[in-house]
Amino acid sequence: MSAGSGKCSASGGSVRSWSSATSVSASGKRIQKEMLEFNNSPPADCSAGPKGDNLYQWISTVIGPPGTPYEGGVFFLDITFPSDYPFKPPKVIFKTRIYHCNVDSAGNINLDILDNWSPALTISKVLLAIRTIFINPNPYNSLVPTIARLYLTDRAKHDQTAAEWTLRFAR
Amino acid sequence: MFKSNNLAARIFERQILSPAPGTSVHYARQLYENLVPADTIYDVNSPDHNFRKFTDDGQYLISFSRNYQDLIVYRPTWLSYSCKEEFCDLHDDLPLKARRFESFFTQLHCTPLAATNEVICKDFFLYVESKQFGLFATSTAQGSDAPLTEGAVHGVPSIERITFHLVRLEDGSVLDEKILYNDFVNLAHSMGVFLYDDLLAILSLRYQTIHILQVRDSGNLVHVRAIGAFCREDDELFLNSHAQCLALNRSRQDVPSRKVPGESNLHYHPNSSCVGSFLGGIKQRLLSFIFHKIWNEEKDHIMRVQCLKKKFYFHFQDYVDLIMWRVQFLDRHHLLIKLGSVDGGVSRNADHHPAFFAVYNMETTEIIAFYQNSAEDLYYLFQNFCDHFHTSSRDSLHTRFISSHSNNINAQKQLQIIESRATNFSQFVKKMVSTLPFNCQSFSPSPYFDQTLFRFDEKLISPADRPRQSTEHPIKFISRRQPNLLKFKIKPGPEAGGTDGRQKRISSFLFHPILPLALSIQQTYLQPAVVNIHFRK
Repeated sequence: MSAGSGKCSASGGSVRSWSSATSVSASGKRIQKEMLEFNNSPPADCSAGPKGDNLYQWISTVIGPPGTPYEGGVFFLDITFPSDYPFKPPKVIFKTRIYHCNVDSAGNINLDILDNWSPALTISKVLLAIRTIFINPNPYNSLVPTIARLYLTDRAKHDQTAAEWTLRFAR
Repeated sequence: MFKSNNLAARIFERQILSPAPGTSVHYARQLYENLVPADTIYDVNSPDHNFRKFTDDGQYLISFSRNYQDLIVYRPTWLSYSCKEEFCDLHDDLPLKARRFESFFTQLHCTPLAATNEVICKDFFLYVESKQFGLFATSTAQGSDAPLTEGAVHGVPSIERITFHLVRLEDGSVLDEKILYNDFVNLAHSMGVFLYDDLLAILSLRYQTIHILQVRDSGNLVHVRAIGAFCREDDELFLNSHAQCLALNRSRQDVPSRKVPGESNLHYHPNSSCVGSFLGGIKQRLLSFIFHKIWNEEKDHIMRVQCLKKKFYFHFQDYVDLIMWRVQFLDRHHLLIKLGSVDGGVSRNADHHPAFFAVYNMETTEIIAFYQNSAEDLYYLFQNFCDHFHTSSRDSLHTRFISSHSNNINAQKQLQIIESRATNFSQFVKKMVSTLPFNCQSFSPSPYFDQTLFRFDEKLISPADRPRQSTEHPIKFISRRQPNLLKFKIKPGPEAGGTDGRQKRISSFLFHPILPLALSIQQTYLQPAVVNIHFRK
């Protein structure tokens, strides 16, 4: 672990060198702190880490929780932290196709805690929230109304289709 | 066991001795020690064609016209001529009128293949043995200023039109064609295409798609599936049938279709539709395989997450940027895919680029294994099960007899010597593994390359279908059983040797798979080729 965190602190330093804005280094410190917290107590089925040596670009993986139609799938997510993080929410995009009423056809996700962002929230909380909508989709605040409607009217059909998507695109 | 060098004696011996069970073919092949192409007709007056290859069943000799427009197919026939008795006895040599190309080969047909602006790819030929079909490729010139198309890999050149022709070799009728537009397939030495039984894999470097085609008995090339952006044949259809894709479908219609009516083609660029920022089908499988591997290595969740951070997320973009370089079938379901960076996929010498190997089951759409090119376990497989990489068919007889270090003690010894000399083992592993995936049908099944029968200098000649720089000295084939016995020599070029020793000369050798017959073709810059026929008188 020590080697890994060493690498990351070095990259945090390089961020500071090319941008003089103090807010960038503040956000960098905050992201590093979150990374340590995340590493010490990662949420179930989730993992995440910076892509290369850029602290502001993360990749996360959520394994489809057992008992849901997403079981067996491996979902990759792109997480981009803004330079004024934690005052603005991170941007989360699905890199893996998913049949879900809260994820649109470009991979954008709508999540209550991202819409109503608070600087007190962390990336662990965001990933936990994503894992929660895997188990309980939110059809009342959906991005894809057709899927939301199917989820409410014919849950069996919805689950079957979602499972088929998982099998085809997320294995 | 002593065996006579007298052919008649050996045939008698064969009548009264029965070989050990299962070895009859090996036993029969030993007779080739006594049947060697030791005689040479130098600089035979042959048609000025580019002689390409004998088909693996020995039925045809494939050649292209010098301007690479026509395919000319010959039937190799055994030398027969008649002369008056007194001449036959007196002259050890063949009569002049028998010393011709036409005494050995009969032209079956000459078929124009290349359309306007196209030329035949001189290094490309695959033979569908069970049906006696030949697969040829013609293409337009390679464009350097490739138009930037959506879904195309940046940095890969583009060829306006690549056409694959399926030809019945017996009569030269063109049975089917498949066309790729603005695409790039590595056609040199058939690198980008692999034939296994009746299944054909064509790797489009530019669109990162493996097209799987089937050669039907009727002579049709049928598109089975495209592996790349999607894994199953109906994935795209499935996706389009769901509402999620509606918005993207609309934008897709704006793209003008470049499909030429009335022509069957493979103009199928799934990347341009409905992709967004999603990972392609095969990329998702690959990343998920790597992820699972690391995930399963650690049982403790905290350790696991830290491990993933270091080993997986840190390199994530590098994995995403990998492109498929080459592909081969291992059997009817499994593909061996070599992946690497964009630079290495196009350059001729990709040895120093980092590369990876993936084994993919196209039926279950699963990645079975993933190796780096320095992996010692992959080298172990290559060392011990080399023949499994050589396959071109389930029931091909002659590929079984191509000597490799896995089936031949002499070749194995040679490999061990090279291995013991290697100073850096990981460099050695990379070098050996760089020959994978094998080029389809690139090894001659001729018994004269059987290392249990003959010994020869692999620097000068080898069963691999590659031209080599030739030396002044004839190439010696020495008996394995009697290590001091020179069995025959092959000398390319004119009998008296070259007029100018400084000029670089390139020779290629075509061995008939069954008959004691070989062609050597020596090319000197700006001079006509010198074709020699090597045969047994």
